[in-house]
Amino acid sequence: MQLSPAFGWLLKRLPSLLSPFILIGVWELVAQTHLFAANILIPPQQVFRTFLDLLADGELIDNIKASGARVLSGFAIGAGAGLIAGMAMGLYPALERYFGLLFTVIRQVPFIAWAPLLIVAFGIGETFKIIIIANAAFFPVALSTLDGVRNVPRHLKDVAALFRFDRLALMRSLVLPAALPSILTGVRLALSRSWMIVVAAELFAASSGIGHMMDWGRQMFQIDVVMVGVVVTGVVGFILDQMLRQVEAHFSSWKLPSR
Amino acid sequence: MAVSKIVQLPTANRARETHEPPSIAVARRHHATELVVRNVSKSFNIDRRPLPVLQDISLVAQPGQFITIVGASGCGKSTLLRLIAGLDRDFEGEILFGGRPVSGPSLDRGLVFQDHRLFPWLTIEQNIASAFSSRPIDTATKRLLVKDHIALVGLNGFEKAYPHQVSGGMAQRAAIARALVNEPDILLLDEPLGAVDALTRLYLQEELQRIWLQKGVTMIMVTHDIEEAVFLGDQVIVLQPRPGRISKVIDVGLTQPRDREDSRILKLKKEILGEFHNPAPINYSI
Ligand SMILES: Nc1ncnc2c1ncn2[C@@H]1O[C@H](COP(=O)(O)OP(=O)(O)OP(=O)(O)O)[C@@H](O)[C@H]1O
Ligand SMILES: [Mg+2]
Repeated sequence: MQLSPAFGWLLKRLPSLLSPFILIGVWELVAQTHLFAANILIPPQQVFRTFLDLLADGELIDNIKASGARVLSGFAIGAGAGLIAGMAMGLYPALERYFGLLFTVIRQVPFIAWAPLLIVAFGIGETFKIIIIANAAFFPVALSTLDGVRNVPRHLKDVAALFRFDRLALMRSLVLPAALPSILTGVRLALSRSWMIVVAAELFAASSGIGHMMDWGRQMFQIDVVMVGVVVTGVVGFILDQMLRQVEAHFSSWKLPSR
Repeated sequence: MAVSKIVQLPTANRARETHEPPSIAVARRHHATELVVRNVSKSFNIDRRPLPVLQDISLVAQPGQFITIVGASGCGKSTLLRLIAGLDRDFEGEILFGGRPVSGPSLDRGLVFQDHRLFPWLTIEQNIASAFSSRPIDTATKRLLVKDHIALVGLNGFEKAYPHQVSGGMAQRAAIARALVNEPDILLLDEPLGAVDALTRLYLQEELQRIWLQKGVTMIMVTHDIEEAVFLGDQVIVLQPRPGRISKVIDVGLTQPRDREDSRILKLKKEILGEFHNPAPINYSI
């Protein structure tokens, strides 16, 4: 009886849980054929063993922590600035008229393309990494906040006008809750992008972090370490995404009347 | 009843709370809450062409009067209420409340929208309290007023429910409480009972009447339902569509509360039905 909800959960996700196993199966089979050299296409068990080794000597955890710390500060700065910028443009359309174009053009530049410029400006230290992450986190949050603020239902704005809401009440009772689901979608996107970009930036230049671990593995020709990095990056990204999806679902549970 | 004990609020700008001799205060209050709509016309621009929606509407609502407005869908009833509420200032003609032109929304004029328009993220209680947002009143008074008005519309026990957790009729009642909680002098009701079943409707009509008698508030209520209009209204205003204009004003002249089966009520109902172009139901069903 107690097991049934968990079982139902498992059953619903079985198809999506199956695909990684199929991939590992195919990987194993191809490795068995010895079509590729064993030090190029590492068989899954060896990657797993390397994973356990890296876990045991603490290297993996240290690197995840280093990447995580960068993501956290870069994301906090970028998402915070994005929230402010999105709110400001949503509440004062004049601002959007002035900055909208610039905003749209800058947004078209792939975030990794900023790396060379930023390295010239800031060197390859922490500042460069945090700025590039903040930049990646800024746009999704700014855009979704703007979108959320702009799409506050008109029929509820009437209510606010009718009761002569002051600024504080307008923000607290109408704008923020109406925009929240959209903002959270942006935050989720921003966080997964931040995670991607930190790994990419560490491949360029770092002395710690998952990306650094992978780059070091490549240079030492330890492809198994690189593979562990790939899998860990994916899994951490997935977990972050799922966590924020839960938050998002929680705050979207009220039903906004359509219109 | 709990409601009769409602605390007077510390608002300075209301005539009834100034320190004048009672007779003058009453007279002033009467003058101060009279609504005059004079030669009001309104058009919307659709595809850059003006679409006339209201044409030359004039009416007077005396303090404490219950006016009902009937008319076909699309004849501009909601638009008229929005103009009176001050939500739309783009019109021709004059709307005066207490002798002063209406220049925007005011807590003296309450409006219940056709759809309940509660904030989906606030509980029933919080929704009602949101009406206080522009008034500096203390929490205790606020709480008391909210509680009294929840009781007034019979929503006890649903204070903590969210709008999507209550029925349409209950949400509409919460919206009525939200409109009443600031004790407006005039309450505009846009088909407040449009979304409820026939039985609940009869019940809520009597509730509305009770609230009206109890509060002495002026009411202007829009409805599709002719019987409802005659049963509740001191005066029934019949609108004709395209563009919306007044085709008939009927003074009911019966004391309230009334008996639905009163022959005079039935006669008036028939008379109003005759105002519409397709009076088929009444001609063929007898
Ligand atoms: N914001 C708007 N922009 C353009 N046209 C509008 C707008 N609001 C209302 N109208 C038009 O004005 C006319 C009257 O609308 P209104 O909502 O006042 O009618 P109503 O009498 O309340 O109808 P119902 O009984 O269906 O609620 C309609 O033809 C509608 O299309
Ligand atoms: Mg309407």
